[in-house]
Amino acid sequence: MSGPRYERTKRQDQRLVGFECQSCGWVSFPEEKRTCKRCGDAPADFEAVQLAERGTVETFVVQQYLPEDIETPQPVAVVSLPQASGAGEAARAYGLLTETHLAELDVGTEVEARFRELFSDGRRPINSLKFAVPRASKAGGEE
Amino acid sequence: MTRDAYVVGSGIIEFGERYGDSFDDLLEAAYLDLLGSVDGLAPEDIDAAWYGTIDIAGEGSSGSALAHATGLFETPITRVENACATGSDAFRNASLAVQAGAADVALVIGAEKMLDDTAGLIGSAALERLWRGRGVTMPAYFGMRATRHMAEYGTTRDQIAEVSVKNHANGVKYPYAHQQFECSVEDVRNSPTVSYPLNLYDCCPVTDGACAVLLASEERAREFTDAPVRHAGWGLSADSFQRGSDLALTNFPATRQAAERAYERAGITAADVDVAEVHDCFSITELITYEDLGFCADGEGGAFVERATLDGDTPVNPSGGLLSKGHPIGATGVAQVAEIFEQLRGEAGDVQVDAPAVGLQHNIGIGRNATGAVSCVNVLERT
Repeated sequence: MSGPRYERTKRQDQRLVGFECQSCGWVSFPEEKRTCKRCGDAPADFEAVQLAERGTVETFVVQQYLPEDIETPQPVAVVSLPQASGAGEAARAYGLLTETHLAELDVGTEVEARFRELFSDGRRPINSLKFAVPRASKAGGEE
Repeated sequence: MTRDAYVVGSGIIEFGERYGDSFDDLLEAAYLDLLGSVDGLAPEDIDAAWYGTIDIAGEGSSGSALAHATGLFETPITRVENACATGSDAFRNASLAVQAGAADVALVIGAEKMLDDTAGLIGSAALERLWRGRGVTMPAYFGMRATRHMAEYGTTRDQIAEVSVKNHANGVKYPYAHQQFECSVEDVRNSPTVSYPLNLYDCCPVTDGACAVLLASEERAREFTDAPVRHAGWGLSADSFQRGSDLALTNFPATRQAAERAYERAGITAADVDVAEVHDCFSITELITYEDLGFCADGEGGAFVERATLDGDTPVNPSGGLLSKGHPIGATGVAQVAEIFEQLRGEAGDVQVDAPAVGLQHNIGIGRNATGAVSCVNVLERT
């Protein structure tokens, strides 16, 4: 695990910035810089767009077997994140979930982004966003 | 100006945990089995070879590894690596050389030692990126399709499990399969959860193996056999690692593209396929592949499972598939071709289906960090 890998995508990982192809409207997340991964436009013209902090679960799994430094059970979802402006297409992100259990998850469940330390790279914490079912939606405040 | 290429022989070893065998041992054994099973074949007949491996164990190396293991010195040998479609793409490349007239007799060998170093398998999938990939393993990528397929089409958990039940029922009749046991839907559902909604028996085992196939021009093919099998069509598609951020949550577009091209080249439709060996790395993969290959309409894969048994109208994975036979990546596609070859010649033993004329072989592979980035489909025809 190397630091530079995480430095490269810091803007998206920490601030939910997506990149909209001005040719087809696809919102890349994480960032694609020169060619569009949907329409193939090359060179493509991408504009940074701020994504909303709430999205919906498109699909998910709950993983039980993972390398030692990732806690289990670990829910992972494909999350559709709309643009903060309400315009254009939503981005689609793979995201780890936190404070969320299988029983709370379904296709269509609303989740919100939370900033967390994911793991440490040597002695340095690597911070990024995870998703969680909003506390207000949880029955009886159960975690 | 091209000509047809024909499969004239195959050689295979038992798939399984082969800790006692080196990479060289696997290659050598598959090659010797091929030499012994094709009448009149001598090493000097082989003009060129294609070698499929992703070399997880770090022993596969270049074409020289195959030259060393087989004694095919001074032969042009090309190593092919194309994710889980490695074996089927090695076969395709060898066939293209025969079709182009660049080789009259071409060898294809796929091999993989999957158990020597499995850390890389899970590590690369699980740890690479914060968002796309951090904590996302192969069972997760495919499991996410299962979750969505159930939500969108009403596919049941039991229908997904039925794929594994079917393939294990076939695998106990197939002598080279790694996992020789039968299981019920309850067994699948009661096996440990790997990545909800998939359980252990929804996943293919980690398996060592090797397989060889021999291709020849029509003229040379007749020297070796009276029943060569024609390579009638192929399709290959390399999609983006994250084409439009995985817009297809319930299917694999690369398979659809590869199948369409293979059908067009072969001049057939999905309805003409009599037997198929498809990529069932997970039970859900095969179920979705029925739809991607056009065996049934979108959303009907769950119901189609019962028609894919050995005595069904479109038998799928008579060899037990990856779920039972195992998935030594470089060997997988070659072994699927070998099984279709035997099926079309009526030599498939206890898993023989009823007189097939057209057979299909399919792989789908994952790119760096996404599902279904590469797919290869080959169509074979009885002559």
